[in-house]
Amino acid sequence: MVNLILQFVALCRTSELKVSTSEALDCIAMLQLVNPTDESQFRAVLNTNFVKTRRDQSHFDQLYSLYFHNLKPDVGHLENREPGSDLYQEVLENLRDTETGNELEQAILEFLSGNPLLLLEKLQKLRASEQIPSQVLKSNLGGLSGRLEIMLQINQTRNRITRFMEGQGGAGRTGSRKQIMDNFNRRLDVGLNLLTEENKPENKGLKQVKSEVQQGKGIGEKFFSSLSKSEVEEMRQVIKQLVRKLNDIVTRRWAMKNRGVLDIKKTLRRAGRYHGIPIEVIYKKRPPRKGRIVTICDISGSVWSAARFMLNMLFSLQDCFAKVKSFVFISELAEVTSIFEKYDINEAVEKVMTEAGIQYEALTDYGETFVRFKKSHMDVLNKKTTLIIVGDGRSNHFNPQDQILGEMRDRCRRVVWLNPEPERFWNSGDSEMNLYKAYCHEVRPCRNLNQLTEFIQELVL
Amino acid sequence: MKFTSVEDVQKKLSEADYIASREIATIVFLAAATQKPLLVEGPAGVGKTELSKAIAGTLGRELIRLQCYEGLDEAKSLYEWEYAKQLLYTQIVKEKIQDFISESHTLAEAVDKIAQQEDAFFSERFIQTRPLLQAISSPEPVVLLIDEVDKSDPEFEAFLLELLSDFQVSIPELGTRKAVHIPFVVLTSNNYRDISDALKRRCLYLYIDYPDQALEARIVRMKIPGIQEKLVEQLVDAIVKIRKMDLKKKPSISETLDWAASLIALQVQDLTPEVMIDTLNVICKYRADTDLVKQAICKIT
Repeated sequence: MVNLILQFVALCRTSELKVSTSEALDCIAMLQLVNPTDESQFRAVLNTNFVKTRRDQSHFDQLYSLYFHNLKPDVGHLENREPGSDLYQEVLENLRDTETGNELEQAILEFLSGNPLLLLEKLQKLRASEQIPSQVLKSNLGGLSGRLEIMLQINQTRNRITRFMEGQGGAGRTGSRKQIMDNFNRRLDVGLNLLTEENKPENKGLKQVKSEVQQGKGIGEKFFSSLSKSEVEEMRQVIKQLVRKLNDIVTRRWAMKNRGVLDIKKTLRRAGRYHGIPIEVIYKKRPPRKGRIVTICDISGSVWSAARFMLNMLFSLQDCFAKVKSFVFISELAEVTSIFEKYDINEAVEKVMTEAGIQYEALTDYGETFVRFKKSHMDVLNKKTTLIIVGDGRSNHFNPQDQILGEMRDRCRRVVWLNPEPERFWNSGDSEMNLYKAYCHEVRPCRNLNQLTEFIQELVL
Repeated sequence: MKFTSVEDVQKKLSEADYIASREIATIVFLAAATQKPLLVEGPAGVGKTELSKAIAGTLGRELIRLQCYEGLDEAKSLYEWEYAKQLLYTQIVKEKIQDFISESHTLAEAVDKIAQQEDAFFSERFIQTRPLLQAISSPEPVVLLIDEVDKSDPEFEAFLLELLSDFQVSIPELGTRKAVHIPFVVLTSNNYRDISDALKRRCLYLYIDYPDQALEARIVRMKIPGIQEKLVEQLVDAIVKIRKMDLKKKPSISETLDWAASLIALQVQDLTPEVMIDTLNVICKYRADTDLVKQAICKIT
């Protein structure tokens, strides 16, 4: 039993489901408290120990059914073993003897004998590969060709088994032969399915703000993308007023919040003036807890109109946050915080478009942006940071690298995705919104001033 | 009282008016047996808090509740010295102190004398216990509910970590307090932000989802006795359909129960579209949602 669990734990770890040693220990200890032959109890124990967030649930389900159902390891009761399993082992032994030393083939044979560890490791490597594609010719065929290789190998193994079985014909084993063949085929099919079915993390706790907007007359309901030059000016005025109002509210709230606990030292010292009677009561002032903000903005044409106002507002409200850091990207990533520090806000917003030092004609590539962010800026994220990503998630079919967004999520307090596209277009065409959504705490459309204001208000207050 | 088996948990919880699935029962049993904290997640209103109340009820323990929010600190969750009382006492006993040190000849002697009495001012008398200390120092075993942990600050979470792994706290003036009985701890979270891995590792994880139709009907029947069978069917059916719609806030079990109760109060026998429109405010908490449901009303009933 212990071996069985440990093998499953190893399996979980290779496919990036984090299971710590203490959790594995707890699990084994707990299995002794329940009746492990009752599957619902057995499963509940594993589930509660290994899955610590809802997003990992589907991942766990997949591994569980793979290991405990499809591969059916012998759970100690030898008498229940399927008939012909001796022969099954014999065939495997034989194949192993004649193997060509190919690593991949070894992995598949291991998989067939009930240990999918190596195969999953290979798959995970493929999934997590993070090479930056060359600037000249971009392709994300790397992952695909790796997959194809495994598929071919599986089919090759299938052929070898068939050939071997045919060669073995006779000797009274004909009855079980078909069964064994079925067994092999079933497992190989499971292997193939692993390649084609990617598990998608589900995100039940996701806050999805929806608001169908009619395009109204007021400036608040005008879409960012359809603003004329004079309206941009008007917009700035409105934002200015709004920022002032928000700043007021925030200072007032802090004034209230600052009334902390009694400062006993100061009160007593002051009381000395009045013969030891504490007439003046002094409170400890608590420094306001300010959030840190990191924004990553897509500044390709489609998104920039919304992003510029977002940046405008955020930097106007800088006092409300401990630190605002800002990055922009199209296919490369550049930090623009310094531009905002140097110039006046409106000027800075214009400057970003020309002076951030990135290639403006390139195609948007979210995957590469994330890879670059991870490489050189990961340290700006910590448990106090709120990460705001402004973008439409249209990555021109390049590798989305969504697992990096997951890593970023692990490092920061909240991930909020603002999408300037109407919701019905998400997930259409080259939009990877569905994939990215799984890693966000909140996604909201952000197409006009009202929506933006609503968001900023929630963020500040 | 103690749980003896998973079946026992299921039975006892249902006696306390909480219908638990087998999975929930297994995990509650394990949490009780291993004295590990239970981390419950799930959409709002599926009975996360209710579960801990039911556990407290079945175990015959007191429920101590700590509601988390941004800015919650040790002074509000663990203990606080009652400064005002201390000051007041100092004033009152001022003369007594005079008497006390009048016999001493040197200043050093007087200070020593007072130092011996120090404990009088930092004692149980002046400490104001907050939920966490209460739970630890209670002479009877209790159930400690830490509600919405995800709303608290990371600093508080780190502090909780220490408390939940050793079940002891140190108060500088009094020394370390070890738990008299290890409380049954239930943490709930709404997934506003991710809880740190370290804290998760120490907990058993339980996700409670919306119940299926049959289970929900059972819950309604149990919580609202005397409701007619036909109404229950119609009600639960409608709720399940509404839940499938694209709403800002989906109605949860608590809303179902509120709705059932209000239908009873209105003496409704049959759930017609008109009745539904009139009582929609009970289940939909946003105007946009109400409008959406109204539009689809003929499909629901």
